Amino acid sequence: MRLAIAGMGWITPFGNGVDPVWKRLLRGDEARAEEITEQFGDQSYTVFRVPESALACIPPHPRLRRASLISRFAAAAGLEALEAAGVKPDSHSAERTALVFAISNGGVIYTKRFYRDIVGGGAQSASPLLFPETVFNAPASHLAAILGITGATYTLVSDSAAGLLAIKMAEDLMTNEALDYCLVVGAEEADWLLCDAYRRWRLLRLAPPVEPFAQIGRGMILSEGAGAVLLARDGPVVIECTHAGGYYRKRAQAEEILKRVLGDLSKTEIDFVISSANGTFIDQAECRALKRITPNAFVYTVKPALGESVGAAGLWQVIIGAQALRYSELPPLLHAGPTIPLRISASRIPMASARHTIVLSCGVNQQVAGLRLGKNS
Amino acid sequence: MARSGSGNGKSLTARVAVVGAGVVSPLGFGLSETFDSLREARDCVTRVGRFSVAGCRCKTAGQVPDERLLSKRHEGGRARRLHRASHMMIQALGEALEQEPQFKPELTVIGTTSGGMSYGEDYYRSLDRHGSLRHAPTWIANYPAQKPVIDALEAFEISAPCQVVANACASGTNAIGHAFECVRSGRYQRMLTGGYDALSELVFVGFDSLQASTPEKCRPFDQHRTGMVLGEGAAILALENLDLALKRGAHVLAEITGYGMSTDNFHLTQPDPSGVGPRRAMERALERARATANMVDYINAHGTATPFNDAAEGKAISELFDRVPVSSTKSMMGHSLGAAGAVEAVICLLALQYQFLPPNINFCAPDEDVDLNIVANEARPMALRTVLSNSFGFGGTNASIVMQKFEA
Repeated sequence: MRLAIAGMGWITPFGNGVDPVWKRLLRGDEARAEEITEQFGDQSYTVFRVPESALACIPPHPRLRRASLISRFAAAAGLEALEAAGVKPDSHSAERTALVFAISNGGVIYTKRFYRDIVGGGAQSASPLLFPETVFNAPASHLAAILGITGATYTLVSDSAAGLLAIKMAEDLMTNEALDYCLVVGAEEADWLLCDAYRRWRLLRLAPPVEPFAQIGRGMILSEGAGAVLLARDGPVVIECTHAGGYYRKRAQAEEILKRVLGDLSKTEIDFVISSANGTFIDQAECRALKRITPNAFVYTVKPALGESVGAAGLWQVIIGAQALRYSELPPLLHAGPTIPLRISASRIPMASARHTIVLSCGVNQQVAGLRLGKNS
Repeated sequence: MARSGSGNGKSLTARVAVVGAGVVSPLGFGLSETFDSLREARDCVTRVGRFSVAGCRCKTAGQVPDERLLSKRHEGGRARRLHRASHMMIQALGEALEQEPQFKPELTVIGTTSGGMSYGEDYYRSLDRHGSLRHAPTWIANYPAQKPVIDALEAFEISAPCQVVANACASGTNAIGHAFECVRSGRYQRMLTGGYDALSELVFVGFDSLQASTPEKCRPFDQHRTGMVLGEGAAILALENLDLALKRGAHVLAEITGYGMSTDNFHLTQPDPSGVGPRRAMERALERARATANMVDYINAHGTATPFNDAAEGKAISELFDRVPVSSTKSMMGHSLGAAGAVEAVICLLALQYQFLPPNINFCAPDEDVDLNIVANEARPMALRTVLSNSFGFGGTNASIVMQKFEA
């Protein structure tokens, strides 16, 4: 079965639109860090937020009137992907389109507000308007309603491997010839509560820079936004194979699974790898696996520039891989130290003859997945 | 729906066998206790004791007793830190693997709605009270939805990757349906699937705030129904390509023959009153099973006992079927959300195995607006060959599966 990327959509701390975000990455820009505080104490954190102006691209829809940020991000990315592919959401295409949504923390802002009311004022204070937005599949439901999708709609929950697991599921769904398209969307919103939780788990640093592949992982910076890819039977970039990976029991075991995934995906020559290195313990596991299995491939990670967007991260990586294949260029890797034993570059790298890339996701909550993209010849 | 496309050149429409099953729910620990509860039409809904329900209209839920579930916690170490949901998953998977000790799945697909939510609540409350956060790393590490699945796989040294489906209350049936399609397409030979959910304050109060839950008894499809009660549990099915299962001499519990899903975009929390969403899901499942409505001998309904759900589902069933026996086993154990579809699939397995109709308890008076043949208050013996199970959820997600008695 042939599976290709027909269209993509992107909303990030750099704003919205695949090409504008791509240009800023090529320029070597880094997102602006914003400090956030909360009622619980003095501790502040920094996140990379989506600018308010980026949301202006979303057409008004009744479903989005009270919807959470995460749902708006998803709508922006999803609609852009369809438009890029020239697919108009109508009753015909909606019948033949599935939606797979990747998520990790979900609508955490409304969930926190909802539970804060319960803790503060008792059950009588709970808002029936907020509760439905706390459900993991609320963003997918809103997007399905906006696009009129009446068939398969799935929400997958995981760590930052969610996006690639969602593409794996989409590949399985697309064996059904009744489907022409599968829209895969990953989205996440950032909040103080998440920062605090990751910090207590020793995975978050208080301020940038995010230093990829450092010997000591000082932590990640959370970000937010969404990425979307519209999968079809044909397109300029092909998904050559997907790998559902596996889970690691202890952090030290992540490297073995990464090696297995990379080994299975690198049966053909790999020009570059879009890694999920984010400044945490997973970087060293990825570094060792990449050095062993794909020593000649260039390696890039977007997380020093745009942060860790967890549920959206896998889709962002796929978009970067596809863009790099289409435009034969990789963006500069930011904040990388001089002793990293991988092929990396602090400046833009021309990739004129690049044909194949691996996208690798190692989440901080035990899941690993990968896929291989190829330039459609 | 069209048939599956080619899956790596393998069989286009492999038959899908259920070769193992495990369950824990308010109805009991394991298949045997669950069957006993169904046969005796036990009401397993009790007063909630895990958190305060003082400000809620509803005070009850179907609950898995901690004294049995958490008994292994006394063994100390890692088990003590795991969430209740992990213990439920371990219990259910353990039972399924007792029947199939050598079962090696290629992929695991599990449904849930809220993962380890109560640990998230503990963390938030500690922050809010400026209390001790000594346990915060444990709460945070065990909160993610995939954690109970990984804990269960790890407990039995299964290394298969997992996908966690969160399609609200349809999650369990969606997970089973997707796993079924994966095996049917020939792309996979063996899969583990099912669902889990553990009761939490946030979700309990949430349904109460919507006035979807009832202070009275849960009476699905009754004229005087006033809402749902929540439940919890976990259930696992081991699915295998039927030919391969027979070749190695596996005991086939049943076949899954059809799966249909639909999305109705009517409202985030309310079904389209026309019943079009449930109807489409059931029609698609029957079409996939190459079955007609009159071949279905029993429907395990979603049947939450909310006025809206039962009206829409009842309308769809009565339009599509001719007086087929229907029951909602949520009347006995509450609505276990992401686990519901999986627990109810196991109930359908038991119905096929023991040839009986599971009861719809607390039923007093039929709803005059829908013409349904409710299995009222008592289990009944019945020759069953084909059964259908429904699950519908927030977001307008509707899912149905068709299961069949295995006949060699």
